[in-house]
Amino acid sequence: MLDLCLLAVMSDDPAYGYEMTKRLRDRGLGIVGEGSIYPLLGRLERDGLVETYRAASNGGPPRKYYRPSSAGRIALAQGVSEWRASRDAVDAVLAPIKVEVAS
Amino acid sequence: MSDFVEQCRREWTRLGVPGSLAEEMAEDLAADLREAEADGISAEELLGSSARDPRAFAASWAAERGIIPASRDEGRARRKSRVLIAFTAVAAVALVVAVALLVTGEPRVGITTNNASVHFPPAQVNPSFFPPPGRVSTSAATPIEWVLLVLALVALGFAAWLWSNWGRARESLPA
Repeated sequence: MLDLCLLAVMSDDPAYGYEMTKRLRDRGLGIVGEGSIYPLLGRLERDGLVETYRAASNGGPPRKYYRPSSAGRIALAQGVSEWRASRDAVDAVLAPIKVEVAS
Repeated sequence: MSDFVEQCRREWTRLGVPGSLAEEMAEDLAADLREAEADGISAEELLGSSARDPRAFAASWAAERGIIPASRDEGRARRKSRVLIAFTAVAAVALVVAVALLVTGEPRVGITTNNASVHFPPAQVNPSFFPPPGRVSTSAATPIEWVLLVLALVALGFAAWLWSNWGRARESLPA
């Protein structure tokens, strides 16, 4: 699921590794727990789902920027569709459950 | 932080990651760690539990990028299969050579023992016990083709057992 989130945060604007973690955090996903985004970015690159290029960052050293490839955009669209379907199915199952919170 | 990057770099070198790729990953990681530190974010927050195990982190990153085998187990399995193939081939060749020697009756050599203290009284020796004169060079000799045959059969049996064990071990691995 995190790979889908990475494709999502780089789809608007190309980003380098740390920039992506900031965007994820800004959207409420304070990751990372086990592992980190770097192996995931490596896998996305290996699978041809992202394109990369090096460019200077704001006054810093050149960074490796990532953006979804055409295959990555297709994978993102499919992944979002599957995620929404799964989420709706789980919601339908859980909807009748009334949660009582003891005060 | 630089120590973490340095340990990653060493691990990539040890794993055989090409120097340019290792350098690229190390530079990106170092730059990200520096920027995170400037933002007040620790390496643990950025890398999660990987921050405590740079070698595993480095290996995982390189494996996911596809620049080293996915796991050392796969590398070991490949090496083991090559050794097994070579061992089986040598045993098979030895068997073929032994059979060829037995069929052709060549060469006329034998393996002799050094136990020269064993003597039989002439009266107890049955002349028909001895093979033809050209067949064995000395007494107490064992034809080399028979020794080779036994060794080859034992080696092939051992190889079959190893292949069987290895196959079962691979079947039990997760996909």
